Amino acid sequence: MDNPLTPEKQNALIEDALHTYPVAPMPRAIRANVMARIQTIPATRPFRLTWNDLVLGIVLTVCIGALWFSLNSLPPLIVAQIRQESILLYQQFIVNARWLIPAFSFGLAAFFAALTLPYLKQELMK
Amino acid sequence: MPDVPEQHLIQRAQKGDQEAFAALVTEHQRYVYNLALRVLRNEEEALDLAQETFVRAWTALPNFRGQSQFRTWLYRIATNLCYNRLPNLRRSLNELGDDVIAGIPETSTAFGDPAHGLESRELRSYLHQAIDHLDENYRLLISLRYQNELSYEEIATMLNLPLGTVKTGLFRAREQLRRALESHQEPLWTIP
Repeated sequence: MDNPLTPEKQNALIEDALHTYPVAPMPRAIRANVMARIQTIPATRPFRLTWNDLVLGIVLTVCIGALWFSLNSLPPLIVAQIRQESILLYQQFIVNARWLIPAFSFGLAAFFAALTLPYLKQELMK
Repeated sequence: MPDVPEQHLIQRAQKGDQEAFAALVTEHQRYVYNLALRVLRNEEEALDLAQETFVRAWTALPNFRGQSQFRTWLYRIATNLCYNRLPNLRRSLNELGDDVIAGIPETSTAFGDPAHGLESRELRSYLHQAIDHLDENYRLLISLRYQNELSYEEIATMLNLPLGTVKTGLFRAREQLRRALESHQEPLWTIP
C-alpha cells in the first residue's frame, strides 16, 4: 500500500486539525461564583492625605530648608570646619565604636518599621 | 446586556459597576476557561483558574489602560496563573529558542477542507488527540493562536517572549503533529 499522505496533504491535515481544534464547552458557568467572590473584596482604599503625612512633610521641609539656609549663610571657613569636625567624629566612631553605626542604622530601621504597627494592627482588627 | 460596546462595559466596570463586569465575564469566560483547560488538562482546575482570573481582573481593572485588548489582558492574567500552577511552563517556553523561524507563514495557505472523507475525519480526530498530548508549552501556544485567534505578535507581547520563539514553538508543535501523523500511518503502510 502506498503512503497516501504527501507532505502537502500532511500540512493541510495538520492545519485543518489546528483550525478545527474544538473550544471546549464549559461544564458550568462561573459568572455567579465570580460575582459572589468580588462582592467580598473590599473597595480599593481611595488616596487620602492624612494629618500625619502633612506634619511629616512640613517637618522634613523645614529641616531641609534650615540646613540649606544655614549652609548658605555660614562663612565658608565655618562650613569647612564643620565638615572637618564631622569627618573626625565619623572617624572616631569607626575607630572607637564600630558597633555604633550599624546599631544606629538598625535602630532607625526598627523605628520606621514600628511606625507601621498601628496601621497593621488596625488592618488586622478589621 | 446585549449590544453594549465592550469599551463602554470596561469603563463602567472600572468605575465599580458589577453588572457591567458580569457582562464581561459572560462574554469571555468560555475562552479563558478553554485556555486554562488546554494547559492544565483538568476541568475543575481550569474552572478554578478561570474564576481566579476574573477575580484578579476585577481588582486590577482600575489599572487597565487599554494598551492591549481586554481579552488579551485577561489571557495574560490567566497565563500568569498557569505559570503559578505549572512552574516548568515559563521555563519550557523560554527554552524554545528562536532558531527555526525561516519560512513559517502567518497562516497556512495550504489550509482548505481536507477532512471531507471518512478517513480524513478520523485523522482530524486523531490529530486533536495528538494536540492534547503535546507538551504544555505547545498546548498554550496552540490555544492562543488557533482558539483565541491571537496573532504571533500578540502572543509574543502577551507572553513576553521574542516573536521568533513563538514562531519556533508553533513550528515545533506542527512538526510533532506531523510525526504523530506519520506514526499513525505506519501500521497501514506495512500491511502487505
